[in-house]
Amino acid sequence: MAKDHRAGSKVKGDKLPAILMASDLLEGDTVFLFKDGWTRDSREARIAYDQETADAMEAEGKGAAAANAVVDPYLVPVELTEDGHPVARHFRDVMRQKGPSVHLDMGKQADFGPIA
Amino acid sequence: MTIISAEGERPNAYTIVETADEAKSASKPLVPLALASEIEVPAIPYGLLVPNDAPVDEIAQHFSSVDLIAVTFPAFADGRGFSLAKRLRREGFEGTLRASGPLIADQFADALACGFDEVDLPDTMANRQPVQQWLEMKDSMTVHYQTGFGEGQSILQQRLAARKEAAQ
Amino acid sequence: MYRYDEFDERFVRERVDQFRTQIARRLDGSLSEDEFKPLRLKNGLYLQLHAYMLRIAVPYGTMSGRQLRQLAKIAREYDKGYGHFTTRQNLQFNWPKLKDIPAILDLLADVEMHAIQTSGNCIRNTTADQFSGVAADESEDPRPTAELLRQWSSQHPEFVWLPRKFKIAVTGAEHDRAAIKVHDIGLKLKRNEAGEPGYEISVGGGLGRTPMIGKVIREFLPKDELLAYVEAIMRVYNAEGRRDNKFKARVKILVHETGAEEFTRRVEDEYAKLDGPTINAPQEEIERIAAYFAAPDYEDLPAESVTLDSARREDAGLDRFVEQNGFAHKQPGYIAFTVSLKPVGGVPGDMSADQMDAFADIAEKYSLGELRVTHSQNLVLPYVKKDDVPALYTELKAHGLATANAGLVTDIIACPGLDYCALATAKSIPIAQEIAKTFADDARQKEIGELPIKISGCINACGHHHVGAIGILGLEKGGRENYQITIGGDATEHASLGERLGPGIDGEDVPGAIEAIVETYLGEKQGSESFIETVRRVGADPFKTRFASFVEERSKALEAAE
Repeated sequence: MAKDHRAGSKVKGDKLPAILMASDLLEGDTVFLFKDGWTRDSREARIAYDQETADAMEAEGKGAAAANAVVDPYLVPVELTEDGHPVARHFRDVMRQKGPSVHLDMGKQADFGPIA
Repeated sequence: MTIISAEGERPNAYTIVETADEAKSASKPLVPLALASEIEVPAIPYGLLVPNDAPVDEIAQHFSSVDLIAVTFPAFADGRGFSLAKRLRREGFEGTLRASGPLIADQFADALACGFDEVDLPDTMANRQPVQQWLEMKDSMTVHYQTGFGEGQSILQQRLAARKEAAQ
Repeated sequence: MYRYDEFDERFVRERVDQFRTQIARRLDGSLSEDEFKPLRLKNGLYLQLHAYMLRIAVPYGTMSGRQLRQLAKIAREYDKGYGHFTTRQNLQFNWPKLKDIPAILDLLADVEMHAIQTSGNCIRNTTADQFSGVAADESEDPRPTAELLRQWSSQHPEFVWLPRKFKIAVTGAEHDRAAIKVHDIGLKLKRNEAGEPGYEISVGGGLGRTPMIGKVIREFLPKDELLAYVEAIMRVYNAEGRRDNKFKARVKILVHETGAEEFTRRVEDEYAKLDGPTINAPQEEIERIAAYFAAPDYEDLPAESVTLDSARREDAGLDRFVEQNGFAHKQPGYIAFTVSLKPVGGVPGDMSADQMDAFADIAEKYSLGELRVTHSQNLVLPYVKKDDVPALYTELKAHGLATANAGLVTDIIACPGLDYCALATAKSIPIAQEIAKTFADDARQKEIGELPIKISGCINACGHHHVGAIGILGLEKGGRENYQITIGGDATEHASLGERLGPGIDGEDVPGAIEAIVETYLGEKQGSESFIETVRRVGADPFKTRFASFVEERSKALEAAE
């Protein structure tokens, strides 16, 4: 995915809290940095509340990309639901997090239930 | 640098020079095109280093005194060098044609088909894609449609030959 | 249709194995993602928002029932049970996994298909009139030319690392259904004064960020000189096209910046230098390919079918279907049909695996086993006997494939947009769905008549919005999706680019805005004028005025709501 299309950077104001999103190299689906490795369920995603953690997560993502595990990891600014689950602030990232709006039976929304 | 030809790795005899003095002292200088017209002719034949957008006419003036032309590839996805090679061959250059830059093994067959003899690969690339990989990728396709490119007959020519044989 | 010989077969099989190796080298790190990306794109593989996407070539939109059945199998086994037909007459699967791609390519090769050069900075799938070979207004079949170009452009050693993608379209008919004027190269088959066959060649058309209509650079090129001349164009473009800015890298910018005259001079100069006869296909080869496209063994039938005529009187649905989706055939007693993949509320261009299987059977039963894909994301049955139409209609209806809206306001072209595409800036499909629902009433659609609406979810214009009679472009503005509306675009032989009506609007306002535009048309319309004809006659102003008041009404309503 082209870097200039990263949507999170267009979000105004504070870029935190944030989660780290990427594509799995072998499967191609969206994955989220977890406390240990990667998860496909965004509700489990590790959340950075401060810049230091965000930088560390970004570095971890780059390492995974260099190790040919994921493609194009990037930080995604999020808001938290009442349950504490992260939801992307930019509509493009929301689409990745959930799945296609025209096929609610597909993507993460189908695998893990509604996300906020 | 690693030089890869269709037969495998080969030694490099040429040294890139940046000044007229360097050109004089090098045994086999690789002279940038911009410098070639300004300096006294060094030991003939020498090598010529040309950018991929250099005019063919300008390069052709040096054909008689060079035995190698290295065309630079600033990036592997910049395909201008392929067309330049094709045109240099058409203008009659018969020496060694070298593609110089971070090409990938997957482009080797194309480079050879357009008239290159060898690739000068930065070591960072050669480490990731060793010579063996280049030779394997070179042979990954054994047929091509385009007449006038590469060795052997194109599919179109082979079809024609097969038809003539069948007719006899 | 064309069938592979041993050489084509070997070429495609070797390409599959080559790609299998490329995937393995990506996984072991020999290839970085930056290096692998153009390689996978050249084999039709994208990485999209939710998954990889594989775009399969349907050369000049021609396919057999057997091939469609294989696509159904792939959809079931390796995807989510459906496929999506594109505006380039291709088919995309939206959910394949990288690890499964070689197996999918093997299955494609089994039925003489591939994904070669359906993306990437190379010569793409050559497109042609979907009614090739059957259209009453056709003077020469464009498919042999398209097939020759398909072969010649496949893994061309010199032209696979172009500044940008390169699209060629061919037509041989009076009415241009292949949109040749908005392609990098547009070829129109023609005859010169001496009656010899050849081509009129235009270069530099295209949509995207800077839409342009192609310029004719050769009024007449003898038919047997095609490959050498195209090679000359490609070499000039490859050597001189801009590489400093990807938005200025298409050949249209080179033609525009150097001037059509100077560009032509450079092409002719190159053409004079190259050795044409060694490049061009031998006459035997041209004839060999053409033989595959010879007319089928038609039955000798009366021009009109009593069976069909009486069935039409009995069944209003059938009558409407034939009237709207039927297409005049050059052979008496036969008719071609557009089979719409635009049911109201559906995703434009989507087809389920079950529908594919059913349609493969239908094509075999009623259309000599052949079907076509159109650039408006519909299908065509090219060889239907008029006597068979009632039975055909019943079967199509049973599979949800008898929507009688070809060319109407609900027959909307839409790119995948933000629902799938990594490049998109806004949703596209849901906008199409809402417009279609707004105009769902058949009588209303019929009253409005021919009205091609085209929607793109970003500036790259895969939805061809510039050449829609109504064009809709989705962009991001201030963190929201925002839609610009144009009118007056046309992709035919009267090619023109749409004109913007005013400021961008919210997605939920688009159906209302389209209604306002349609009302303006119905008010201005004279006689049997189509939408585009009215726009041409009265200009954009009445539409702009109405659009401005629509925008004002909406903002007042919003303020009141707050």
